[in-house]
Amino acid sequence: MEEKKMTEKESLELVSRMIQATRQNLVKGSGNYFLVYGYTALVLSIAIYALFYVTGNTLWSIGWFLMFLPMSVIAFRKKKNKPLVVTYTDGMVKKVWQVIGSLFSLTIFVMLVLMFIAGKCDFVLMLPLSLLYAGIGTAITGLVIKESCLVYGSFVGFVFAVYMLMSYTLNGGTEMIWNLYFGLSLTVMMVVPGHVLNNKIEKL
Amino acid sequence: MRELDPLLHSQLRLAIMSLLLSVEEADFVYLKEKTEATAGNLSVQLEKLDTAGYIQVTKEFVGKKTRTSCRITDTGKKALEDYIDALREYINL
Repeated sequence: MEEKKMTEKESLELVSRMIQATRQNLVKGSGNYFLVYGYTALVLSIAIYALFYVTGNTLWSIGWFLMFLPMSVIAFRKKKNKPLVVTYTDGMVKKVWQVIGSLFSLTIFVMLVLMFIAGKCDFVLMLPLSLLYAGIGTAITGLVIKESCLVYGSFVGFVFAVYMLMSYTLNGGTEMIWNLYFGLSLTVMMVVPGHVLNNKIEKL
Repeated sequence: MRELDPLLHSQLRLAIMSLLLSVEEADFVYLKEKTEATAGNLSVQLEKLDTAGYIQVTKEFVGKKTRTSCRITDTGKKALEDYIDALREYINL
């Protein structure tokens, strides 16, 4: 950009052009966050269900805590490769997921406290609750970045979450098949939209 | 007629301010890419805007590399708003 005398009209045009230049809020790899969480959930759901099926031990559900692993990997990579630009949309999406992350931590904390008080706890309940939390986060992200497959995908998670909670109250307990429902829901909610997002960005 | 802010009535500085108005934070490389300015010229103009309090420049180490990030300040937003209002008056919008 060269320095030259601008007319008032040219100045306004420049302001408008520069603001327009920041409008593209999808950057390469935007779908990767969804892919990392979606695939981790899919692998864990199959592994945990298979381990339960073979051993009959429900304690394998503790493997779901491995879902926190991608969070640490992403946080480390983000620290190393900071983005070139942070738009207000990025800021808003980040805040939404911070709230969702706090909900996860708070739920686990409350469950642990109740476990110490009551002497028992069913951590499998985290599955429908996580679907609700992640579904809300995914749907809001989809609305903010105007990506409909994220919004519609999250509905599948909501349906499975409500089904699990209803079945819990009607049948009086959790079921190991929930692990597979969870994996399936996150595949529709995160893996599919993650690939769709990445494909769209490739074509831009 | 209001006088146009001389600090903003420059092509590169106005481009920087307009870009920063629409984002929370931008890296030096991003600003260089969008404005197509040379690194030297961009540095000089960023320093002028920083000195005027229009933008906030943060330099940090990310690994072994230095990273310069910029964000617009409230003073900067107000100055740009006034500048655009003054432009509108000039061209009777």
